[in-house]
Parts: sequence; C-alpha cells; structure tokens
Amino acid sequence: MITANKALNYRTDRTSRKIGGRIGYGILYTVLVLAAAVQLLPLVWLLFFSLKNSQEVFNLPPFALPSKLHWENYESVWSQSNISRYFMNSVWITLVSVVLTILLASFVTFAITRMRWKLRSFVLGLFMVGLMIPVHSTLIPLFNLFQKLHLTDSQVSLILSYTAFNLPITIMILLGFYYALPKEVEEAALMDGCSVNRIFFQIVLPMTASVIVTAGIINMIYNWNEFIFVNTFISSDHLKTLTVGVQNFVGQYTTNWGAVGATLMISIMPILLAFFLLSNRIVEGIAAGSVKG
Amino acid sequence: MDKVMSDKRMIALYVIPSLLLILAIIYLPIVLTGYYGLMEWDGISKMTFIGLDNYATLLQDEKFWSSVNHSLLFAVLSAVFLIVYMAVALVLAGRIRGANLFRKIYLIPMLLSSVAIAQLWLKIYHPTTGILNDLLASLGFKNTPEWLADPSVVLGALFVPILWQYAGFYILIYYAAFKNIPGSLVEAARIDGASSLQIALRIKVPLIAEVIKVTIVLAVVGSLKYFDLIYVMTDGGPNGASEVMASYMYHKAFRGFDFGYGSAIGFFLLLICLVATWGIRKLTATKDSIQYS
Amino acid sequence: MRSKTLAACTLILALILIVSACGSSSNNKNAAKSSNEATNSSPEKSESSGDSQAQAEKITLKMMHLWPDGSNSAQNTVIKQIIEEYQTANPNVTISTEVLDTEQYKNKLKVLSASNDLPDVGFTWAAGFMEPYVKGSMFTSLDDLLQGDLKDKFVAGTTDGYAFNGTTYALPVELNIVPVYYNKEIFAQNNLQPPQTLDDLKNIINTLNGKGITPITLGAKDAWTASFWYMYLADRIGGKDLLDQAVASNTFTDPALIEAAKQAQELVNMKAFVKGFNGLSNDEAKSEFMNEKAAMYAMGTWEVPNYTTNPDVPQEFKDKIGYFKFPTVTGGKGDLSDWVGGVGVGLFVSEKSKYKEEAKKFVSFFVQKWGEHSVTDAGIIPATKVDTAAVKLPQMFIDLLNELNTAKKVTLYVDVQMKPVASEEHHNLVQALFGKAVTPEEFAQKQEDVLKAGK
Repeated sequence: MITANKALNYRTDRTSRKIGGRIGYGILYTVLVLAAAVQLLPLVWLLFFSLKNSQEVFNLPPFALPSKLHWENYESVWSQSNISRYFMNSVWITLVSVVLTILLASFVTFAITRMRWKLRSFVLGLFMVGLMIPVHSTLIPLFNLFQKLHLTDSQVSLILSYTAFNLPITIMILLGFYYALPKEVEEAALMDGCSVNRIFFQIVLPMTASVIVTAGIINMIYNWNEFIFVNTFISSDHLKTLTVGVQNFVGQYTTNWGAVGATLMISIMPILLAFFLLSNRIVEGIAAGSVKG
Repeated sequence: MDKVMSDKRMIALYVIPSLLLILAIIYLPIVLTGYYGLMEWDGISKMTFIGLDNYATLLQDEKFWSSVNHSLLFAVLSAVFLIVYMAVALVLAGRIRGANLFRKIYLIPMLLSSVAIAQLWLKIYHPTTGILNDLLASLGFKNTPEWLADPSVVLGALFVPILWQYAGFYILIYYAAFKNIPGSLVEAARIDGASSLQIALRIKVPLIAEVIKVTIVLAVVGSLKYFDLIYVMTDGGPNGASEVMASYMYHKAFRGFDFGYGSAIGFFLLLICLVATWGIRKLTATKDSIQYS
Repeated sequence: MRSKTLAACTLILALILIVSACGSSSNNKNAAKSSNEATNSSPEKSESSGDSQAQAEKITLKMMHLWPDGSNSAQNTVIKQIIEEYQTANPNVTISTEVLDTEQYKNKLKVLSASNDLPDVGFTWAAGFMEPYVKGSMFTSLDDLLQGDLKDKFVAGTTDGYAFNGTTYALPVELNIVPVYYNKEIFAQNNLQPPQTLDDLKNIINTLNGKGITPITLGAKDAWTASFWYMYLADRIGGKDLLDQAVASNTFTDPALIEAAKQAQELVNMKAFVKGFNGLSNDEAKSEFMNEKAAMYAMGTWEVPNYTTNPDVPQEFKDKIGYFKFPTVTGGKGDLSDWVGGVGVGLFVSEKSKYKEEAKKFVSFFVQKWGEHSVTDAGIIPATKVDTAAVKLPQMFIDLLNELNTAKKVTLYVDVQMKPVASEEHHNLVQALFGKAVTPEEFAQKQEDVLKAGK
C-alpha cells in the first residue's frame, strides 16, 4: 500500500498524454495482432496438414490447401477401433485429476497463507521441491510403487500421479493470489464466529474463482497431453489415452501423415473447446468475487 | 480469532492428504534417485554400491557441463522473457478492444501437444523447404542457415519454439493477476492524474509482486528440467550441441543403460533447481512482503 | 452450515479413498489370483509328467510388441493373425498384447525389467542392446527350440547376434541389408550409371551437384543412418572383418578406420549429402527421396515395400527406383558383396515367466508363421529361410533375397554390436564426424576410448 500512495503523488500533463497515447495505441495494436497471427498459425497449419495426404504433406507448402480436401483422414482415424475409447479415457482421467488437484491445492494454499502454524513455510518448501524432479527419474521408482500397491495397469495410478505432479505448480499459482487477497472479509467473518470450513468454502474459494479457472486450464492441458506415464503404467489398450493414439500414428515407418494430422486435430479439439468456454469464467469469476467481497 | 485459524485438526485435515500424496509419489522417487545415484546399476542386473563415484565422474564430464550451461542459459532467457509477457498481460488487462480474444489466441500454442509443435517447427526450420529459409532466400540470402544441424545456431533455434509455446501460460497468469487488482486502487490513482504507465509500474506491478516471484521460479525451474521439444526436434544433437540436463539424463539412463549415472544427473539437476529457487527467493525478498520460503 | 461443509470435506476425502481402494480392490483380485497361480505352479517340478495337466489349465501369455496399428498396420495385422491362429489351435491359451512405438517400447522394457515384471514374450534388439538383459538373467535360453522345432529354419548366422557364450536368448524375425536406392530417372537424365567404385560415386555427386540436384539424402539426426555410410567405407577400405574385429578387440585406431572417416568427411566436403542432414530425421530425409528431390538413399531393405507393394505410393515413382551395391574403393580390401545389415528385433521369453514352456511353444509357432506371412503380407524379410520360388514377390524383393543368399558377409550394424554406452557415443561421434566437429583421428580415438571403458 505504501507504493500505491506514492504513485498518487505523480501527476502529469494530460493533453500531451492523449496524442502520444493514440500513436502508441496504434503501434500496440499492430504488435498484438501480429503476435496473435503467429500464435494462431499452428492451428491453421494443423488443420491444413490434416486435410492432405502423405505426398501433399511433404510437397505442398505448409499453408497451402490441396485441390481435394482429404476429409477421409478423419474418418479413417475415428473408425480406428480404439480412438473413441482413448478419447473417453482422456476426458474422465483429465477431469477427475483436475478437480482433485484444484481442491487439494486450494486446501493447502489456504492453510499455508491464512492459518497460523509453525511448519507452514517448511511444508510449502516440501511442495515446491516437487517441481524440480525430472520425469524420467520417477519412472522406475513409481512403477515399483504402483506394482506393490497393485495399481499398475489401473487408471488410478495415472490420476494419483497427475494430481501429485500438478499439486506443486497449482499451489504456486494459487499462492500469489492468496497473498494478494484482502484479509478484511475473512477477519470480519471470523469476528462473526464463522468456522474455518465456512470461510474456506463460502468466502475464499469463490473469491479465487478466476485463478482456479486459470490453474484448472493449465492442469487440463498438462494432463490431456501427458503420455510418458500412460505408456509406463498402463499396459491394457482399453485403458490408454488419446495421446497414446497420437503416438501410435507417429511411428518409425509412418507413411500416413494425413492421419497423424487428423489425430492431432481430434486430440486438441476438446481442450480448445473447454478452454474457450472456461476462459470467460476468469473474468466472470472476478466479478462474482468482488460482489461478495 | 487466532484460535480458529490455528486449529491443529483443521490444518491437518487441509494439508495432510496432499502431503501424503506428494510424499509417496514425488518424494519416494527423489529419495530413490538419490540412492540409485550412489550405485553402479544398468537398471537390470544387481546394483553395486560405489559411493560418490558417479558424482566424481559427473564433475569431470564435459558433456554434462555443456548441458548444464545450455540449461542455465535457457533458464535466464526464460526469466528475462517474463518481462515481455507481463507487458502483454498489462495491455490486455487494460481497456483494450478484443483483449479477451487476444488472450485466448495467445494460449493456443500451449494447448497443442509437443508432438504437434515439434512437427510444425521442423517444417519451419527445414533446411531446404522450410518457411524460414524460403523467406530468407526471397530476401536475397545465399547461404541460409541449417537451423537444426549447425551446432552454433541449434540452441537458439530451439529456444524460440519453447518460449513461444509457454508465452500464453505466463500471459494468462499475469492477466488473471492484474484482473484481480481491486479497481478502486487504480481509479484513485487515475483521478489523481497518474499516467497509465505510472499506474502500471507503480501500482499494478508491485501489487502482483508475489505472482511475479512465483512465475520466475516456475520459469527457471521449468527451463532447467525442460525436455520435450528438445527431445523430439534434435534429440540433443548434433553431437550434443543442444543437449540439456534432462535430455542428457535420459540418454544416459535409458539409452546408455547407465541408470546409476543417470540418477546422479537427475539428483544433481534437483540440487541446481533448489539452489536456483533459493537464490531467486533471496534476490526478490523485500521487507514488506511475506516471506514464505 | 458448519456440518454441511465438514460433510463436503469428508465426502471428498472419502472419494479419494474410494478411488484408490477401488483400484486396489480390483487389483487385490489379481493379487489373489496370482498367489493362487503361485501355489499352483509350486508343484510344477514334475513338469514333464504334468504336461497334459497343464494343457487343460487356462493361461494368459503377455506379449509386448512395437508395431502399433496406426503406423505399422501391416506388421500389426500379421501379428494379430498369428495370435488368432495360435489361440484357435490352443484354446486354453489367451495371448494379450501390449503395443508401444519403438522409443516408448525400449523405455518400458527397461522399467519393467527393473521391477522384474517383463512380459512372457517380447521383442529385443540384438547384441549390445540385449546384453544387460542377458547378464541380469531376464531372458531364458531358447536353445532347445533351435535344436528342436526350429532346427535349420533360420538363415545361417542370423541367430548369432542373440547368442551369448554359446546360448541363444532370442530368435530373430527380421533380416535386412542396406542397399543404396537410386532414382533411375534422375540418373538417366544426367547420363549416369550406378557406380562401381567410390571414384564413380564422387563423379556422380559432382555431376548432380552441378545440376543443382541433391545427390544423397541422409537423416543424420538419427545417427545410425550416417553410420551406414561410415560402415560401408570402412568395409570397402579395410575388408569384411575390420569392423567386427574393432568392436571385439576394443581398438578403433586401425588406419583403415581412420581412412574411412577421412573419406566420409571428403563426401561431406563435396556436398554429397542433403543440406542440413545433421538436423534431419530419417523420416524427413526419406521424404526428399520419395519426392524425387534427391537421387540416392542408403537404407535397410525394410524400405522396399515403399518401392514395390505399398498402395499409398504412386506406381510411377516405384518404377523409377532401383538399387546398387555400395561401390568398392580402389586399392581397398572390401568386396561388392559385403553388406552392412543384419537382424532386427527378435523374440525373447522372460526368465521370470510362469509359463515358460507355453511361451516357448508360442515363440516357435510365431517364428514359423511369421516366416510364411511376413514377406508376402507385410514386405518384411524374415530371418527364416524363404523359398523365393514358392512365393510370388516383386522383382526387387527377389533380387535382394538373392543378394542375401550370395552375400560374402553381412556385417551387423556397429551401433548394434556395441554395448549401450559405446553405441550411444558412436551416434554422437558419427554426427560429429559428418558435421566436421572432429578430425578423423579424434573420431577414431574417442571411439576407442569409449569402447575400452567397456560399458
């Protein structure tokens, strides 16, 4: 708050700001649009890729469409016995893991930032270390662990791993927001004799809705695209996920590149959709939070 | 009031489930990695205890140190680029038309799996038919670079897609953070005649200081253990010119059947991450912010 | 209100518990089952007498292979077909398969063996790759099959790569050699003939470069492809046993080996290989050849279906493709009919398998059926003998099968011969050599150092 007060002391001439602002605005806009184009290209490229056959993939420029669009790539991929199965597996594993991660991470972040206990910075440190282990170091130990728990070839092993590995980053993302959250509301609630659970579920959780959606989206992306754990812990085909389906297409002797593109398109559609639907909630969440606050 | 917020049972209820999960799924592998690092082990036959021999070898291993250099360089670069992402998020969080759409578009690369991104960038960097070299040739360059084959440019060529891939992630986080700033503070400053730039630098950025610290840690740690695109696009080549710590570890443990040595690298990577995080915390620590590490 | 939120809390916790309990309970059944099996198998000492009894018992054999349906559907289909035939003939046996692509397959094999959980039957690569597995007693001896059911079925020498101290631990299913494929049309347009000597090849390279055509495509990001070129040069200069001896004796400083490295760099200096080859994958390099942007491509005979039977490739392209043997070097000791090549993956039976005998029976069946189906259905040359007169095959297949039969020597890929660490370093060194990051002498010295380290 000290800095905020300082800022109020700065005053500048408003008229000169206006002209400079307009030019700046134009430049800014151009940059934003250019950047958006660069970020959007891969999707366009992928779409075009998925509509070509193998020869056209290599012979045509990336952003040219073939004379005949090969929609049958999608057909051949989808009719592959397992793609729809993989798809459903991906959906439910991702959903369960995301919900579990967000909830557990919110609990922990709340306890660390809002409650008073001695070991909190130590416990936070414990979680942060979780960010630092390379995934390939964990494969043999984790497989051993799940084998002992009889969880190999079970999707529970995936949900547990995804939740555990995403907890640190989710907690980190939540943390900054929890610190920035004004404490006045809680303090008032405490005065009124509210319980910890009530403060958490009815006051804090709604106030962090925006960051929860942000963290949720990030979690979703990670879980959806993960394949090393799936390949390592799962052996039955009917339990595997969509990324494995993609992997299977990109093999050593691949000739059907169009199908690779179609699989990739199919695999990003749900996440794209979820993202576009959910990301509006970031703004709405803020509005809701401020009303209650 | 203090009593309610320091209720041991509630704290336990909130923290212990998550703690147990990461102890089993993250700490067990960390401990075992440390243990394997002391062994001569191909991952298959019996282990032999060799004490710190692996680490002694590690200290002498030129290839390892060059991979450390590459990883560190990348970590610094990622941290520096956060400034750009923050600027973009600031602009988007302001009253700019289409901000919502831009924000969504910027995140698209992150939605794609590394397999798809790698395929795209391989096409861009292709030495004879790639978009980039086509463009350079049309601008009159004669000797267009062999982006992924030339040891002197390969590392830079790899950083671009990785930075590009994660741009949306940080923009999203900063955006949510800026949106979370209570509007009353900004309004008060504006009424007092502070310019947008002043408001941004003196009010908004300091207010999200905790989020910034978190993102620096995430960017640095994430870069230090980065693996995906490097593995798909160059596999650390040519001749180790783009090898990073995680890919080197993978090559030693899984390709070279030297799991003991690979584990030592993994453990070392963890230590470097810890030191880096500690350093960042020290550097960014300020008096008025809450210390939590 | 308070009780409500508390209830929500406990509900979530309960959920977590249930989810994990569910998993473990369903697996407890498995555990119970496997402990049953353990008790069943304990009186299995009287194995031979209990053979008829074993036949009645319903068993499931786990098999892992590396040909997913999407990218390797031909092989995938053949495997499915063989399994079906086997299950029909042996109704008490069910074979469950797990499929992973090559890289993931290798990783999983390692994780599984570290946890003592290898499948009953699976594929391994020869020599250096499988040595740690054999040393760790992961694979069981298949000598009895070789002496029994499969006696004289294999092409001579093809099982050698899977043998350690006289015991064979896996049986090959593929056999390949590496010809240089070339585009006949491009050669004809430039009045070129397939080269007989290295000097011929160099002339061809100069001619093609003069016309702005890429002479040779190469994807040295996958360094084993560049290793083919080095190996051939070494063979043609130093003779057919040079490389084998170098790996066996851990010395890599023979003058012929250094000369081969020099010649390799000479080819690079002449711009023989496609631009940026060290950053291209084999797939990318292959597409240069498939799209007629490069005139030559050295690759294993697994590529032959693309030039003969693959329905996805246009016939007019297939008609343009021929092959030649790697040219000789004037004054060199090598011969035109020395080949680089060898066996690909082979089938192993896990030492820890509960049903070793059943698994071996299946392997024997598989190898024989694979021999019948693989060439005609999938275009893969099996390691078992093929009667070229009896099956109808495209001409290029027949020619190459005959080359195999008349080969003076097939030198197994050196990276396969070497132990894992040395092999990995060989890949780095080949990239360095072709990228001119090391001198030929350094190349040889470093290769020797890592061979001497013995890992």
